[in-house]
Amino acid sequence: MSAVLQNLVNQPYKHGFVTEIESDVAPKGLNEDIIRLISTKKNEPEWLLDFRLKAYEQWLKMEEPKWPNVRYPAIDFQAISYYAAPKPKQKLNSMDEVDPELLRTFEKLGVPMHERAALAGVAVDVIFDSVSVATTYKQKLAEVGIIFCSISEAVHAHPALVKQYLGTVVPVGDNYYAALNSAVFTDGTFCFIPKGVQCPMDLSTYFRINTEESGQFERTLIIAEEGASVSYLEGCTAPKFDTNELHAAVVELVALDNADIKYSTVQNWYAGDENGLGGIYNFVTKRGLAKGTNSRISWTQVETGSAITWKYPSCVLQGENSVGEFYSVAVTNNYQQADTGTKMVHIGKNTRSTIVSKGISAGHSNNSYRGLVRIAPTAAGARNYSQCDSMLIGDKCGAHTFPYIQVRNNSAKVEHEASTSKIGEDQLFYFAQRGIGNEEAVSMIINGFCKDVFQQLPMEFAVEATKLLGFKLEGSVG
Amino acid sequence: MSVAAGSKYLESLLQGRPRMPSSPLGWLNELRAEAVDRLGALKLPTTRDEEWRFTDISPLANLSLQPARAGSSSLQASDIAYLHLDEAAIRLVFVDGSFAPHLSLLPGPTENSQGAMIGNLPIVLSRQGESVEKHLAKQVEFRNNLFAALNTAFLHDGALVVARRNTAIENPVHLLFITTQAETANHPRCLVIAEQGSAITVVEDYVALQEGVCVTNAVTEIFLADNSEVNHVRVQRDSAEAFHIANCAVSVGRSSRYRTTSVAMGGRISRYDLNVLLAAEGAECAVDGLALIGGRQLADTHTCIDHARANGTSRQLHKCIVDGAAHAVFNGKIVVRPNAQRTDSSQSSRNLLLNPRARVDTKPQLEIFADDVKCAHGATVGQLDHEELFYLKSRGLAEATARNLLTYAFGAEIIERIRIASLKHRLEEMVLEQTRKN
Repeated sequence: MSAVLQNLVNQPYKHGFVTEIESDVAPKGLNEDIIRLISTKKNEPEWLLDFRLKAYEQWLKMEEPKWPNVRYPAIDFQAISYYAAPKPKQKLNSMDEVDPELLRTFEKLGVPMHERAALAGVAVDVIFDSVSVATTYKQKLAEVGIIFCSISEAVHAHPALVKQYLGTVVPVGDNYYAALNSAVFTDGTFCFIPKGVQCPMDLSTYFRINTEESGQFERTLIIAEEGASVSYLEGCTAPKFDTNELHAAVVELVALDNADIKYSTVQNWYAGDENGLGGIYNFVTKRGLAKGTNSRISWTQVETGSAITWKYPSCVLQGENSVGEFYSVAVTNNYQQADTGTKMVHIGKNTRSTIVSKGISAGHSNNSYRGLVRIAPTAAGARNYSQCDSMLIGDKCGAHTFPYIQVRNNSAKVEHEASTSKIGEDQLFYFAQRGIGNEEAVSMIINGFCKDVFQQLPMEFAVEATKLLGFKLEGSVG
Repeated sequence: MSVAAGSKYLESLLQGRPRMPSSPLGWLNELRAEAVDRLGALKLPTTRDEEWRFTDISPLANLSLQPARAGSSSLQASDIAYLHLDEAAIRLVFVDGSFAPHLSLLPGPTENSQGAMIGNLPIVLSRQGESVEKHLAKQVEFRNNLFAALNTAFLHDGALVVARRNTAIENPVHLLFITTQAETANHPRCLVIAEQGSAITVVEDYVALQEGVCVTNAVTEIFLADNSEVNHVRVQRDSAEAFHIANCAVSVGRSSRYRTTSVAMGGRISRYDLNVLLAAEGAECAVDGLALIGGRQLADTHTCIDHARANGTSRQLHKCIVDGAAHAVFNGKIVVRPNAQRTDSSQSSRNLLLNPRARVDTKPQLEIFADDVKCAHGATVGQLDHEELFYLKSRGLAEATARNLLTYAFGAEIIERIRIASLKHRLEEMVLEQTRKN
C-alpha cells in the first residue's frame, strides 16, 4: 500500500465541528410522557398523538432486529434525548433572516445556500437538528401548486393530506426502528406534487445532526399525484462526536398513476475514527409505493458515512406496468459496517425492477448487500434484473451478498448477477506507464466501477459523490 | 433420557431406541449417548429459523413413526436387479437402514485386493476401529443439528468406503438404500475416506419400494486427504409421501478434487444440506445439483462451500425444474476466509417454472473476507423461452414435444456431468419420463 494513498484514506473527517446554537432539549429517556411532550411542543392534533402512541405501544412489544450482519453494543434507548429543537423564532421568508451562525455551518459544509439556490435552482428545505428553520423557493413552488415544507408545518396547513398518507407505506409497526420513529419523530419533509405537475426544480434537504446525544428521527413523506413527477435530493453530513448517535429515519413515497419519483441520497455522516470509535448508527426505513398504473419510483444512494448503516430503500410495485429502480454505491472503510440493499415487491402485472448495487470495502470494514426480489402470484409478466458487485481493498475487510429471490409466478423473469473484484497491481501499473499516478488511477478505477450508479445522480450530486469517494478511499490502495 | 423437542415424531422414535444393540466399542456408545443428550436440547426447526425459512417441516412433527424393523424384508436379489449399476463391481445394499449382505456385492468379506476397504460399518469397526474413529461423526456437526444428532443416536449399520493410499479404484461403488416399510424412520449413514493419492467414485442411491409415508434421515461424511479425488453421485427417488432429510459434509485436502452431482426427484419434502470445506491449499470442488419436482413436492437444497485456504477453486451449478404446485428452495453459500487468497469461485442457480402455481425461492450468498479473489454468482428464474419453442415448432415439432425437449435439455446439462454411463442413461430416461408425464 503506497504511503500517499495511506495518508489520503486516513484523512480526518472534514465536516467535524459543532455549531453553538441554543437547543431546547427534552430530558433523556422514552415513555408516554415524552411522546406527549413532543406532541404538545409541536402543537399537534389529537390524531397524530394517537398515531405516535399506537406506534409506541407496538414498539414496546417488538424486539431489536438481530438478523443484520452488523455488530454493535446494545443501544440504551433510555439514554437518548428524543427532542432537540432550536429555540422557536419567527417564521422566515428569506435567507437573510436565518441565524448567521447556521449559515456559517452550511458554508463550512461547502453548501453556500444562496449560491446553491440561485445557481442550481435548488430549493433547500434546511433541517437543522429536528426543526425546519428556513425554506427557500417555497413561493415559487406554490405557484404551480407544489407543497414543499416541513412535516410539522404540513400537519397544520394540510392535515387531511398528511393524515391520508402518513404510515400507509411504512405502517407504524413495520419494524423496530420504524415504530420508534413513528412514536418520536420530530420533523422531516413533506412534499406533495399535484396532478399533472412536473416539479420545475430538484427539491433538496440538508440534514444535519447537531446536538450531542440527541437521536434524530426524521420523517419524510412525498406524494406524487397522477402524472406528476419530482426529483428529490437528500444529503447528509454530521459533526464529529465520540458517543454513538442513533438515527432512525422513515421515508415514505407514494406514486399514483403515471407519476414518477426519483429520490437521491448522498450520506456522509460521521463514520467514527480509524479505530472504530464513535460514529452514527444509521437505521433507516425507506419505502416507496408505486400505487398507480405506469408509476415509477427510483432510489439512488451513495452511502459513505455512518459507523453502521442498516438501510433498504424498497419499492412496492402495486400498479400495473409500474417500475422500481435501485442504484447504490456503498463505501465502508476503517471499522464501518454497512448492511444495505433493497426490496422489490412485484404485485401488479408487467412490473419491472432494476437493481444495481456497488459495494466497496476497505480497512477493517464489512459491507453487505441484502436484497429481496419477490414476485407475487399476481405479478404476471414481471421482470427483474439485479446486479451487485463488490470490490475489496485489503485483506482485513469483508464483502457479503444475501440476495433473496422468491418467485411465485412462472411468467416472471428474474436475473441476478454478482461479482467481486479488486484493484490489481497490474491495473495500477498500466496507469503508471501512461503517466497517471496511483492516486488518480485509483480514483478513476473506482469511478469506473461506480459509473452505472453515478450517472443516475443529478449533476451536482454526481460531482459531490465522485469527490466523496475519492476522500473516503484515498490511501487504502497501493 | 429427556425428550424436549416435544414432537410426536421424536418421542415415538426415541421410545424405539432402547432396542438398538450396543456396540463393543466404548467410544461408539459414548458418541451415541452424546447424540441422544443433544436431542434433548434441540428442537425441530420451524420456518422462523433462517435456515428453514421456506421449508415447513411441521407435518413431520405430528407423525408417529417407529424405527424400521431390521431383517423383516423378504426382498430377493432378483427383485432389485433393475436397480443395479452395470459398472459397479462393489455394491452395498441397505434395506430400511439395515445392511442386507445377501443383496450386496462384495469381493471379500470386508476388504478387496485392489486397495480398498469397503463394507458395513460395524464389521469394519470391529477390526479396524481406530482408523475409523478419527473420522466418524467428525465432519457433520450433530451437536447443533437435530437430524444429524438423530442419525448419530441411531448409528449402527452404515456404508464405509476407504480408498487406500495411492490407489485409484476404477469402478464406481454403489451404495443402495431401499425403503420397504411405510410409517417408519430409517437413518442411513455413509463414511467415505479417500487416503492420500487415491481416487474413487461413490454413488449414493436412495430408492423407495413402497408408497407410504416414511422418513429417511441420512448422514454422509467424506474425507479427502491430500492429492485425492472423489466423485460423488447422489440420487434421491424416495416415495411421493416420504420425508427425505440428508446432511452431507465433505472435507477436501491439499490439491484434492471433490466432484458431486446430486439429483432429487422424490419425496414430499426433501432437504439436502451439503457442506464442502476446502480445508487446504489448492483444493477444488465442483458441485452440481438438479431438482426435478411436481405436484405438491418441496425440494430444498442448502449448500455451503467454505474456502478456508488459499488457491482453492469451486464451481457450482444448481438447477430446479418445478411443475405443478411444487416448491423449490435453493440456498447456496460461498465463504472465502481471510487468508484464502486467490480463490476462484463461481456459482449459478437456474430455475425453470413450468406451472403458474410453481414456486421457487433462491438465495445465492457470498461472504468474502479476502481481496485477491474471483467470485461470481448468478441466479435466474424463468419459463421456457418463447423463441426457442417457436423455433422447434417451426421445424414441425408439436407444442408438447417441443416443451418436453427443452425441459429435458435444461435438466440434461446436469445429468451429463455424471461419468457413469448406465446411471446417466437411466437418469436421462427418468427425466424424459417426468417431463412427458407433466
